[in-house]
Amino acid sequence: MTVLEPAQSVSVPLRHVEAELSRQMKAMQKGEETPLHRSCMSNLVIFCDQADQAQEVARQVPEIVAAHRARVLLLIGEHGDETDSGVSASVLVRQLSSGRNHQSFSEQVTLRASGGGISKLPFAVRALLIGDLPINLWWRSLQPPPLAGPLLYDLAENAQQIIYDSLGWLEPTRAVAATYSWLEQFEQGLRGGRWRVASDLNWRRLKYWRRLIRQAFDEAAAPGAIASAAELLIEHGPHAVVQAWELVSWITSQFGWKVQAGKVQQGLELSWQFQAQHGPVRVRIRRLPQGIAQVLLLRLQCKIGDKEGAVVIRLEEDRRLVVEQEGVSASPRTANLQPQSSAELLARQLSDRDRDPVFAQSMAIAQELAKSVLD
Amino acid sequence: MTSVMTDSEKVIAHEVTKSLVPQSCQLVIFGGTGDLAWRKLLPAVYNLNVEGVLPSHFAVVCFGLPAEGATQVDLDEYIRKRAKEGIDRFSRRSLDESHFSDFARSLFFVQGSFNDTRAYELLKAKLDALDQQFGIPGSRVFYLAVPPQVVHLCVEHLKLAGMIRDPSDTTSFTRVIVEKPIGRDLASAREVVRVVGSAFAETQTYRIDHYLGKETVQNLLVLRFANSIFEPLWNEKHIDHVQITVAEEEGLAQYDAESGNMLSTRAGYYEGVGALRDMVQNHILQVLCVVAMEPPWSLAPEVVRDAKVGVLNCLRPLAPADVDKYVVRGQYIEGEVHGQRARGYRKEVRASFESMGRDLPPASVHSTTETFVGLKLFIDNWRWAGVPFYIRTGKRLPKRVSEVAIQFKNVPQVLFNSQPGRPLEPTVLSVRVQPEEGLSMRIASKLPGPKIRIYPVKMEFNYNSSFGNESPEAYERLLLDVMAGDATLFMRRDQVDAAWKFVMPILDRWEQSRVRDLPEYQCGTWGPIEAERIIESDGRAWRNL
Repeated sequence: MTVLEPAQSVSVPLRHVEAELSRQMKAMQKGEETPLHRSCMSNLVIFCDQADQAQEVARQVPEIVAAHRARVLLLIGEHGDETDSGVSASVLVRQLSSGRNHQSFSEQVTLRASGGGISKLPFAVRALLIGDLPINLWWRSLQPPPLAGPLLYDLAENAQQIIYDSLGWLEPTRAVAATYSWLEQFEQGLRGGRWRVASDLNWRRLKYWRRLIRQAFDEAAAPGAIASAAELLIEHGPHAVVQAWELVSWITSQFGWKVQAGKVQQGLELSWQFQAQHGPVRVRIRRLPQGIAQVLLLRLQCKIGDKEGAVVIRLEEDRRLVVEQEGVSASPRTANLQPQSSAELLARQLSDRDRDPVFAQSMAIAQELAKSVLD
Repeated sequence: MTSVMTDSEKVIAHEVTKSLVPQSCQLVIFGGTGDLAWRKLLPAVYNLNVEGVLPSHFAVVCFGLPAEGATQVDLDEYIRKRAKEGIDRFSRRSLDESHFSDFARSLFFVQGSFNDTRAYELLKAKLDALDQQFGIPGSRVFYLAVPPQVVHLCVEHLKLAGMIRDPSDTTSFTRVIVEKPIGRDLASAREVVRVVGSAFAETQTYRIDHYLGKETVQNLLVLRFANSIFEPLWNEKHIDHVQITVAEEEGLAQYDAESGNMLSTRAGYYEGVGALRDMVQNHILQVLCVVAMEPPWSLAPEVVRDAKVGVLNCLRPLAPADVDKYVVRGQYIEGEVHGQRARGYRKEVRASFESMGRDLPPASVHSTTETFVGLKLFIDNWRWAGVPFYIRTGKRLPKRVSEVAIQFKNVPQVLFNSQPGRPLEPTVLSVRVQPEEGLSMRIASKLPGPKIRIYPVKMEFNYNSSFGNESPEAYERLLLDVMAGDATLFMRRDQVDAAWKFVMPILDRWEQSRVRDLPEYQCGTWGPIEAERIIESDGRAWRNL
């Protein structure tokens, strides 16, 4: 399903949004006899707190709705001037490609507020949600949800899923230290048979890394590697520290290592001392000055068989992961990555509402790691 | 036990399945210059005229006093101008000059006060003259679109003026339409019924509840009894609970969108009445009857009305302790509606009385009129044993929506529903009364892909998009029914009585408790937090609408 005709967004008073949506849909209806079909699997509420973010999201929306049809409520709440200028609305109906006998449309409502007006956004959202469909909140702000305050809770009051992206988070250490407790509190304690799940797109990005790590450290592929690990190094590009952190948390939880102490060299490196069954292991997350915002390399110094060596996994050209073994003669192995845009990533997450216990477990470890460097 | 239809009942059953035939008459609207006539009744008659379904011999006469400041000398022209404005603003069909002039030719005005005997003489003379002019056989439909305290005046004067025909008259008829509210408690409702009954026979009396004229409410009967899949499931074995919501965006007053100035207010009626009397006692209980009634054995009015009153008679009475537990009221405070700051109820009451130039009644200074009611009730019969009905209604809620939602029992906790704490979204059939009348069914579906992932999807039926034209307004249908003599969709006196009987323990308990402040909710939210309690304590939640 692709999005067809480019359409024009129309500004309307908030109370006329539904009427304008209907008007635009009618206007696009080609033949009177062709049934109109509002394509909608869920309500997608997106919150941005910067204009450039919002522009980027607006460009992504067609791709998102092509994969997961939703009524999109794009909220732009810019701080700064605290005067309340109210909430303004604009409406855009897009025609999706359709079958021979029907036409389908997706709806986007953009709501803008600034300063004191931001607190009005949840009220506007309540009036525009489509009943009976799941509500997803994409918290696109770089403000980490655990530190976001009441606005997030108001926007998420009936949401089944909140999706956030820890890539580029402000205050990453403090945010990671708060995430697990926040997850527990956010996902639990709802009454009346309701439930809610929080998902981090960064965790989803690590899917191929996790799959390949499992294979690369399999006892058959790298005998004795885990039992002899001495140092784990993870390198990442700018803004990807939390992604690296999540990967470390997952690996150490899988390998059964216990954190002993940690320290931080601001902007450069995080390091921890772990205790494994076979002895101490040093773990470092190093930020590279350049590169894409991703984990770029993982190197585990260890024995492979009875030889000193290392298992290295590196990202090549943003589309392939390469596994190499140092110190032994083995051909590198590669795994191609399915290139995934942020929009695609989000669209997939929208349909995936299962709570991932492994993520929760990893974030519990991440919290311990964060506390150890904050202490 | 089998029921045997008598010959006359067979005839009735046969008659009602035929298409409605409105009979020639004059529609006399008491309060013809009022808000209801302006917004609803005259636009409804105009639409019926456009559709060509009015009787061929027909006229409309508005009776009342012209609005203050009206200077029109020609009174018929005055009402035609006002009707035109109302149609232009409120009619579902846009104003068409040629249709309007056709309609206006049969629209007249008689000026007079409801307690002025002379005015009734003038009215009678005008009606008689119009009978001659339009070839109408003396039949009348009197629509009492007047405040409840005036009803007795109208009825007594109509009787005194000899304007009410005997129900046995076969050459012409007199019918009366009585608007809500019918009383403000059981005693006063009985008094209204008695007063009207002193002049009109029950067969001549049409107590209107416009909710029952809505297509979707009527479609509930069709849905239940014309489809083979629903009725077998329509009981306590398969239904987990039912939710009925009537949510209004508007508060007490209407404001100009540009200037924010108050245009009109319902404070004079609503303050001291509240949501329970305004919505629950009539509209919601009537809709509940249609949802919960047993299959009537025919569509004859009395058969359908018997089935409806059967539901009201089975409502479990609420003891004072039940009221505390199962009923929550609230009042809106300042909040946001459509991005605009909205006043709290008490402020709105004060401003309304100020704008009406009236003193604020002492009891309203610290008003405890509820603008929200949430409640749980049970229908104690075999069909509904143990099935809770959750009802909520309120003003200044986030959106205008009225619906009935039937939530079916969840599937067993095996296979796809095996995650504890993460139940699958249950199957819900939701019947939307307004806006966009229609119905939808939420079911679970597998997402495409290699894994089995369940996602709720919604199958929708929308009246407008399916049938290509807008549904008629409820008043259109109901006016036609009165002209045709079909009382199916109108409340019989025993229904009124039974509805008040259910509501009285709540009113009594509230009266007794004398609270100074009600639970509050911000404008633009779904009611007070206390409303969650009555449903969440059962492990259920109010629906996202």
